Amino acid sequence: MQKNLEEKFLLDFEANQNIAHKICRLYTTNREAHNDLFQEITIQLWKNYPKFRGDSKFSTWMYRVALNTAISLYRKSTRKIKTQDISDFAYKIKSQDYDDTEELQLKALYKAIHQLNDIDKALIFLYLEDKPYKEISETLGITSVNARVKMNRAKEKLKNILNP
Amino acid sequence: MDVLDNYKKAWKNQPEESNKLSSVEIYKMAQSRSSSIVKWIFIVGVLEFILWTVVNITIPDRFYKIYEDLNLMEYLNIFMGLHYVIILVFLFLFYRNYKRVSLLENTKKLIQKILKIRKTVKYYVFYNLATVSLGCIILNMFMFSDNNKLMKVMNPDNLALDIQQVITITIISQIIGLLIILVLLWLFYKLVYGILLRKLNKNYKELVKLTYN
Repeated sequence: MQKNLEEKFLLDFEANQNIAHKICRLYTTNREAHNDLFQEITIQLWKNYPKFRGDSKFSTWMYRVALNTAISLYRKSTRKIKTQDISDFAYKIKSQDYDDTEELQLKALYKAIHQLNDIDKALIFLYLEDKPYKEISETLGITSVNARVKMNRAKEKLKNILNP
Repeated sequence: MDVLDNYKKAWKNQPEESNKLSSVEIYKMAQSRSSSIVKWIFIVGVLEFILWTVVNITIPDRFYKIYEDLNLMEYLNIFMGLHYVIILVFLFLFYRNYKRVSLLENTKKLIQKILKIRKTVKYYVFYNLATVSLGCIILNMFMFSDNNKLMKVMNPDNLALDIQQVITITIISQIIGLLIILVLLWLFYKLVYGILLRKLNKNYKELVKLTYN
């Protein structure tokens, strides 16, 4: 049973790990912290996986656990990260089919989001990921109306940072 | 078209993380130990329970002599029994609140529940401070109600001392002792919980702010 659960978890998580990477990139500013947060998210996902009943998509469930970890649980630690040593290619986003303008825009976007507070970060992230207001308000625990107001304010803040 | 729409397009087209982990690496990571804020609050909480229990246990017998002299031992024993029952209740509440923290909640509820663990510990410390203070007051009331007893307790060797002087010294030394303890505790709380809870308090305020705007 445990073995099955492990295998299922690894399959689910491996396929969706990009969500966690994006969150790590939003909430941290260097590779080391990125890996540290990623590790904490992995631990929390695995710890809570037995409670994942599959009545929602794994990715939906993962958004909540990963964001909650970044916002409420994570604190910088000095532990050793359990990954192989990777050279510090940090945040160099490289891809052939990605044009320069978009690459610059993306970099500017990440830089701007880094200046927002934790909650605004979550709001903007969920907006960028096209999540409906219902899901946003349920994830953060605020009413839909509040989510809308807060979202508009967060977007304004972001615009001001991007185009001062 | 909104300015952000362009950026959103760039976001959507962003390449996948190039540093993807294999399932072996994920497996290794999942087995490692968490270093979350909740865990630290739990550890600090347990340490506080241990600290106060140790303080309770290691009080030297000499300290109780004053109760014997004042014929208060019986009350003290009843009180200590009650005291340990209350500590157990606190421990139970502390553990229950810790267990209730679930990442599957929404963010606001989650932060509320984490702050609740900390609150249990806070009340436990308040309780301890209150019992110490109350104990002091009761003891003082007994002592000062009878000058002969006071002299016997404070001056067992029958040195030639002025009763007024004894009273002043007793009160001043108690106040100084209490102040030192309070300042140390305050520093400890500012430091430890300040570091641990700063982020949570900030995010929680951010979440509730709108409700009252």
